[in-house]
Amino acid sequence: MSLRYCLMVTGPAYGTQRASSALQFAEALLVAGHRLDSVFFYQDGVYNANRHTSPASDEKDIVREWQRFGQTHGVALDVCVSAALRRGVIDNPRDGGAAERMGSNLQQGFRLSGLGSLAQALLECDRFIQF
Amino acid sequence: MKRIAFVFTQGPHGGSAGREGLDALLAASALTDRIGVFFIADGVLLLLPGQQPEKILARNFIATFGVLPIYDIHHYYICAESLAQRGLLEADGWVLKGEIVRAADWRQILSGFDTLLTF
Repeated sequence: MSLRYCLMVTGPAYGTQRASSALQFAEALLVAGHRLDSVFFYQDGVYNANRHTSPASDEKDIVREWQRFGQTHGVALDVCVSAALRRGVIDNPRDGGAAERMGSNLQQGFRLSGLGSLAQALLECDRFIQF
Repeated sequence: MKRIAFVFTQGPHGGSAGREGLDALLAASALTDRIGVFFIADGVLLLLPGQQPEKILARNFIATFGVLPIYDIHHYYICAESLAQRGLLEADGWVLKGEIVRAADWRQILSGFDTLLTF
């Protein structure tokens, strides 16, 4: 039976195993024939969308791996906007504030989203897995 | 409609889990009232009265727990063993009134929920 999954990632791209486990799980569930509607990045998980993340050349680049994964499989990569702004992950800086001077660092392929879409995904999916 | 459980396991100001879990809980409450809120381990400390987080440069989000019933969230469960381990079984004036249940019952109640989020 094919199930609709939603994943929530709460750990950074580097520093804990949460993000890499989530990425591997995401790939495995598609291989097993299930569907993945979206991946929601919350708490320190928003660091997965920081395009300034620069791993050493012999390490997995989790940030770009997510982008590749999302693009290849048409999976939305939703980043909680309020958690992201507080941690310095920003997009389309406006209003002449400090954010505009710093520029955007949201990795291409991710989109800033609200907690409402997490709530929606929670209710709609068959399986919700938190990393 | 699915039943969703929010489990709070961490203390209030050492990390942002409690606050961000509360934000997620509020967002979910806009779409469903089939929600249960569970407190265990240091998570029970979220409900202690008289907190002054501004003194340690933290924001006071604790009061928001007290108004959760306004958002049609009515099921709160607090782990009795966690309270006992922290010397809080006799405490009162809690920010939020919850049902104090033994761990075995807490687990039984939790198993009635379809989806679980842990903060």
